[in-house]
Amino acid sequence: MPVLPEIILNVDDNEPGRYATTRILNRAGFQVLEAGTGKEALRLARSASPQLVVLDVNLPDMSGIDVCRQLKTDPATAGIMVLQVSATNIAVLDRVSSLSAGADSFLVEPMEPEELEAVARALLRLHRVEAELRRSLAEREMLLREVNHRVKNSLQLVLSMLSLQGGEFREAGAREIFAKAIARVTAIASIHERLYQDTDPLSIDMQTYLTGLCAELARAGIGDERHADLRTDIESLRLPTENGVSLALIVNELVMNALKHGRPSERSAIINVSLRRLDAGHARLTIADNGPGIAVDRAGGAEKPAGGLGSRLINMLVRQLNGELRIEHADGYAAHITFPVQAAAPWDSKS
Amino acid sequence: MGLEVLIVEDQMLIAIHLQDLVEEAGHRVAAIAHDGVSALAAAANHRPTIAIMDIRLAHGASGIDVARQLYEEHRIRCLFVSANINEDVRQRVADLRPLGFIGKPFLAAEVIAAVRAAAIAVDSNSC
Repeated sequence: MPVLPEIILNVDDNEPGRYATTRILNRAGFQVLEAGTGKEALRLARSASPQLVVLDVNLPDMSGIDVCRQLKTDPATAGIMVLQVSATNIAVLDRVSSLSAGADSFLVEPMEPEELEAVARALLRLHRVEAELRRSLAEREMLLREVNHRVKNSLQLVLSMLSLQGGEFREAGAREIFAKAIARVTAIASIHERLYQDTDPLSIDMQTYLTGLCAELARAGIGDERHADLRTDIESLRLPTENGVSLALIVNELVMNALKHGRPSERSAIINVSLRRLDAGHARLTIADNGPGIAVDRAGGAEKPAGGLGSRLINMLVRQLNGELRIEHADGYAAHITFPVQAAAPWDSKS
Repeated sequence: MGLEVLIVEDQMLIAIHLQDLVEEAGHRVAAIAHDGVSALAAAANHRPTIAIMDIRLAHGASGIDVARQLYEEHRIRCLFVSANINEDVRQRVADLRPLGFIGKPFLAAEVIAAVRAAAIAVDSNSC
C-alpha cells in the first residue's frame, strides 16, 4: 500500500496563532492547509480530504463546535479526526461541548509544540487504524454479496437443469417424479431469493414465501390434469430461517399429496392452505382438501403414508419444529400442524 | 398480441429454461444473447418487443447499461431477472420503464406471470 502524505487542515481566524500552529506541524513533517473561517474549513475538508483538522472554537462566521458537528455528521468527512482548540478562560465548557459534538481530542491555547505534535501523531495513528477497519469491512461486505450471488445463481442452475431434464420425458409418471423433485428443491432454494432482500437475514416472512410456493405448486403438474383450486390464507408471520424452510417443505409435501390424492370425483377440487398465529407462543398450519378423504388412496394405495418419502419428510420436519401433527377426516382430508413460535431475535446489523 | 422476446442471460442453461417458460406463457423467443454486444446485435436484427435481462452478463458487461441502450435505441423495455436485484438497481433503471423484477432463484410461475403481465403492459402502451 503506498504511503500517502498526511494532510492536516489548520483552522483559525487569528493569523499569528494560525501561523504558529502551521509552523509547528510543518517542522514535524506534516503537510498543512489553512482556513480562516468555518465555511472555508468545511469546503477544504471535503475537497482536500485531510486526515486531521486542528479546529479553533472561535471562528468569525460560525462556531468551531458546529463545524466539528457538521464534519462528523457528513459521511464524506466523518472519518476525519478533529482536534478542537480553545482559549484558556472558557476551556472547560468548550471541552465538554466539543467532545459531545464529536471532536476526538481537545487542547487549550497556548499549546506546547511537543504536545501539539504528539496529539497530532496519536490522532493520525487512530485515523489509519479506522481507515483500515473500514476498508476491510467494505471488503467483507463485497465478498458476502458475491457469495450470495453465487449461491443464488447455482441454485438457479440446479432448478433449470432439473426442469430441462424433466421436459425430456413424455410419460406422465416420469414427469411427475421430476415435478416433485423440482418442487422440493424450489421449496429450499426460493428462500434464498427472499432472504437477503430483507433487512433481517435471520428470519423470513412466511406470507410471501408460502404464497409464492403454493402458486408454483398449482402449476407444477402433479396429479392429474384437472384444475385444482389452491387457496391460501397465510398470515404475515416471521419465523427463524431454519424453521421457515422446514415449514415450507411440509407445505410442499402436503400440497403435493392433496394434488395427487385429494381430487374428488364429482366436484371440483379445492385445497386450502392456511397459517395462523394461535396465541403468542404457537401457530398452526392447516392444509385441507375436499377430496375422497380417506384411506383407500392414502393408506392402502401404492404410496403408503408411513413408507413414502413424502410422509417420512413430513414426520421428520414436524419433529424438527417441535410441532404436533393431527390428521382429520371429515369432509375431505385435513392436516393440522401446531408448532411453537419463538419470537425471532431482532436483527441488529451493528452487532 | 404475441411477444417476441429477447433473452439476455450469460448462463445458457438458465436462458433455455427461460425460453421454455416464455413459450409456456404463449409467446415466442426471438433470440438469446449472452453479453451486451450480442444483445444489441440481436435487437437490431430481430426487432424483439421486450427483453428478459440478467444484470451480470458475460465479459463484465452490466445488464443495466445494455438495458439502457436497448431502451434508448430501440424503445425495448426489460423484465429484469437477476440474483442481485436491490433498491439501487431498481432506481438506476426506473427511467427505462422496467416491466418487472424477478429474483433468482426464480419460481417458474413468477416468470410466466411476469411475461403475461408484460404482454398486457406493452400492448396497452402501443394502442
